[in-house]
Amino acid sequence: MTTTQAGAAAVKILIAGGFGVGKTTLVGAVSEVAPLRTEEYLTTASVGVDDLAGVDQKTTTTVALDFGRITVSPELVVYLFGTPGQERFWFMWNDLVNGALGGVVIADTRRLESSFASIDFYESRNIPFVVAINCFHGVNTRSDDEIRAALDLDPHVPMLVGDVRERTFGRDVLLALVDHLMALPVG
Amino acid sequence: MTSYWDEDEEDDGADSMVRPYTITSGRTAPERDEFTLITLLTSVQEPVDAYGAPIRPGRLQPEHRMILGRCRTPAAVAEVAADLNLPVSVTKILLGDLVEQGLLTARAPISVARAAGGADRGLLAAVREGLRRL
Repeated sequence: MTTTQAGAAAVKILIAGGFGVGKTTLVGAVSEVAPLRTEEYLTTASVGVDDLAGVDQKTTTTVALDFGRITVSPELVVYLFGTPGQERFWFMWNDLVNGALGGVVIADTRRLESSFASIDFYESRNIPFVVAINCFHGVNTRSDDEIRAALDLDPHVPMLVGDVRERTFGRDVLLALVDHLMALPVG
Repeated sequence: MTSYWDEDEEDDGADSMVRPYTITSGRTAPERDEFTLITLLTSVQEPVDAYGAPIRPGRLQPEHRMILGRCRTPAAVAEVAADLNLPVSVTKILLGDLVEQGLLTARAPISVARAAGGADRGLLAAVREGLRRL
């Protein structure tokens, strides 16, 4: 393991996807430390948040975050941030979203719709992303084209199929993201 | 405006004996807004003031001391918060105290804003090289 120096700086990658789709699993598979959990209080306007209807003005919500770390060099650390559950509030967490290098959407072929919100989120925030299709049991009954169509994925967005428990798959997903970032037009 | 504290927050801080903002003497926002989740913090070894005299830390909470211990090797705000088992916003207030006193240095994340041209090639190449070793 590389030791970080005092002059080191960091970048972050976001890991999104529907509930229980394997976000923390992927973080844990590639992180050099067991995933850590932290919390934040978010103050949100209740307008438009359906199950809080009737609550006046602002409400404070606690959101949790699981994250891992990859020390790339003594000067550079990559942090991976995933939400263990509800992403609805995550989208309002500006500190989390701002300045991300890019993102990953994890999707499960049995319930692709649970990852639609994550794709919308990255697209609306102009965050480049790749899609990782998680097949926990190696069973994938749908073709890549079918999945792409179901997710309404732009042709240029990379998509990989594998098992998020495997470090090599997690690594390949992150490498695909970096390659995707390098291929994007500058500006 | 009704006070923050007048609202019913029955679960707030339920897993600790101390309400989180007690540690910050009631402050709910940091003095400075310089920290992000991945700002890296490093404790200053043998801190000195502008005249070269050793800095005597002001009143520090146990949490402040834990942070200084943790940041002997650089750690991100999120990592410190996780270690302290405190919300990120509370952690930021404590970190601000230590930076203010010259006991801790903060290093901002590398800018990767798409509007400013995105991450530079050198950075991406370094990330790629590091990931390949996983």
